[in-house]
Amino acid sequence: MTESHSKHILSIMVDNEPGVLARIVGLFSGRGYNIESLSVSEVDSDRFLSRVTVVTSGTKNIIDQIKAQVRKLIPVHNLIDITELKSFIGKELILMKLDIKQKSVLNIHKHIKNIGAKILFEDKTVIIIEFSGTPNEISGLIKKMKVYNIVELTRSGLVSMALGKDYIRR
Amino acid sequence: MMKKLSGARIVIEALIQENVKVIFGYPGGAVLPIYDELFKQNKIRHILVRHEQAAVHAAEGYARSTGKVGVVLVTSGPGATNTVTGLTDAMMDSVPVVCISGQVPTHMIGNDAFQEADIVGITRPCTKHNYLVKEISKLAESIHSAFHIAKNGRPGPVLVDIPKDIQTFETKYGGKKHTKSFAFYKPNTKPSLDTIVKFVNLLEKSKKPIFYVGGGVINSGSRASLYLKKLLKITGFPCTQTLMGLGATPTSDDQFIGMLGMHGTYEANLSMNKSDLMICIGARFDDRITGKVSGFSPKSKKVHLDIDASSFNKSVNVDLLIQGDLSKILEMTLKYIENKRISFSKEKISTWWIQINKWRAKNCLNYKNSRSIIKPQYALQRLDFLTNHLDPFITTEVGQHQMWAAQFLTFNKPKHWMTSGGLGTMGYGLPAAMGVQIAHPKDLVIDVAGEASILMNIQEMSTIKQYRLPVKIFILNNHYMGMVRQWQELLHGNRLSESYMDSLPDFVKLAESFGATGLRVSKPGEMDDLIKEMIKIKGPVICDVVVDPKENCFPMIPSGSTHDQMLLGPNDKLEGEISEEGMVLV
Ligand SMILES: Cc1ncc(C[n+]2csc(CCOP(=O)(O)OP(=O)(O)O)c2C)c(N)n1
Ligand SMILES: [Mg+2]
Repeated sequence: MTESHSKHILSIMVDNEPGVLARIVGLFSGRGYNIESLSVSEVDSDRFLSRVTVVTSGTKNIIDQIKAQVRKLIPVHNLIDITELKSFIGKELILMKLDIKQKSVLNIHKHIKNIGAKILFEDKTVIIIEFSGTPNEISGLIKKMKVYNIVELTRSGLVSMALGKDYIRR
Repeated sequence: MMKKLSGARIVIEALIQENVKVIFGYPGGAVLPIYDELFKQNKIRHILVRHEQAAVHAAEGYARSTGKVGVVLVTSGPGATNTVTGLTDAMMDSVPVVCISGQVPTHMIGNDAFQEADIVGITRPCTKHNYLVKEISKLAESIHSAFHIAKNGRPGPVLVDIPKDIQTFETKYGGKKHTKSFAFYKPNTKPSLDTIVKFVNLLEKSKKPIFYVGGGVINSGSRASLYLKKLLKITGFPCTQTLMGLGATPTSDDQFIGMLGMHGTYEANLSMNKSDLMICIGARFDDRITGKVSGFSPKSKKVHLDIDASSFNKSVNVDLLIQGDLSKILEMTLKYIENKRISFSKEKISTWWIQINKWRAKNCLNYKNSRSIIKPQYALQRLDFLTNHLDPFITTEVGQHQMWAAQFLTFNKPKHWMTSGGLGTMGYGLPAAMGVQIAHPKDLVIDVAGEASILMNIQEMSTIKQYRLPVKIFILNNHYMGMVRQWQELLHGNRLSESYMDSLPDFVKLAESFGATGLRVSKPGEMDDLIKEMIKIKGPVICDVVVDPKENCFPMIPSGSTHDQMLLGPNDKLEGEISEEGMVLV
């Protein structure tokens, strides 16, 4: 039995009903598991299903225990551990507001274009950019943008999907 | 055409459909419409408790002694919050309970209305599931699924919170058959055959096997007990049971080597420690059982049979998991053994039995009896001797008396032993005994109590009086929170901080004030007469058995120690200090 901690991305299909997120989050906090990232949204409006993506870490035993406990929740239909599939992608979204009063706008535009981010809004004082990428890419972007004055930023939790044929059944 | 019914009426009709005969409850503003409907019918009997916690424990006693779902009805706010200890108790011990609570009307939820409490939020972690019914159209479905969830898979409590306006709205109700999608919850109950084959293989190979049996067997039903009994007979293997599992198979059986765990027998714990194959059936490797995990049965292969997949590898890693309903697993195992004509040689395990019998010969439950003062163990031995032929239902409170009851009483049938195992709730035994007595009006029901615990729900004497429940309360009165004192002696330099029970009531007079009989005994020679009289009396009795205030409960595995570091008696001293790690354990 290895005692090393590893990161796991859990994709959970749940009934989109009041309190369902509280059940999942409460389970994690009550049993002392950590949540490194969380995202949730309805994905099937006909059957009122939401998809929750939780990034957590722990030893194999702890991860197995987390999965077994989550599967026991009544509104949980299905859980897959994306990290255990052959290959997968995981993306986050970031919105960032830059103060551009002091800088040359032309340079900024070029920089943003090079990085592959999108400009959502712009006036004389600020620019808001949007970028999606892996958590590493996003962290890299934040570092690069530090040369500007970042007024505010917000990033989403991770969403993830297996490559190839694997998918989470509803 | 279906008639429209009020929500309150639907609640009652749905309970009738669920074959509910008794509910335990306490009224209040937010459930008055339901109480009104209760008044108008005569299929369901309502037992008015004196505290909502007691309603849940009574429902637990009812459920555990019958195998049916226990039902509770309480009002919003304080009525609902008073159930939290009971629900947590039912959660920890896997008892099927449905608790219906009233709630403030939907438009007032979130406004800090009078007697509003977010009971669904509060009980989320201590119920198997819960519902806040916000639409009348969801009411019937919620109630039926509550029953379905409570009793299927690993049983547990389910709460249904019903706002008062929902109770007065009307809708059509066509009965359970016409209620949609309440049975979507379908835990797997069927084990896979290949795990059964592997299991039998391990059984065949073992030279030092042990069956470690828990409450899951009792929850699975009488067939599970029957099959297990058969498997025990076929294999000839020794069997130990957890606190929750006592009575799963008869404890008078020769293959039964006593309860295991912190206050388990020497032979049971050492057999666990030295075994080469541990067969855990419906138990969960709880910390009271394992002691220090790193030293827990180091050489054995471990097989775990359970309905609940989250119990696997939780604290102890096992070699073979078999997930499913225990009665199915055991049935398939027996079938496989029969079909393959596998026989188990008693020869192979004969040295193991010789070893076990050596451990047995230590007579670890032995104690020094006295002629002048009643030893609690003696009181229980006499109680067992004089009542066993009546197959009594036993409930307990929590403390030394509970452990002694587990050690000294005989349990020959499942569902006859009700004790708070997982949560260790003082005040459980008396209301649980009420629930048992309601379910079994003619049987002998005894609450083995401590003088401290009994005071935690003593108000229920009033319920006992009202319904003329002939519950027998057998208080082992040692004037101490004995279990607390024992830990203080052992671990805190004998500084008996706040564990003496001063200003106790006169239990005889207390009994009389509730129209019950009070009996007191303080001499060993009078013990038998007291018990005989207690049995003879038709009504409720409180026996104040004045016992040695200093007696301690042995064997004991101090916290943080392993099974082979057991203390066998008052003269056994701890080897060195308890580790810091052990000191922080409860
Ligand atoms: C509700 C609750 N509070 C506190 C405890 C901690 N506790 C465990 S045993 C015990 C003492 C019980 O005393 P008594 O009922 O007299 O039983 P004895 O040990 O003396 O047999 C206490 C306080 C508990 N288990 N439950
Ligand atoms: Mg006491």
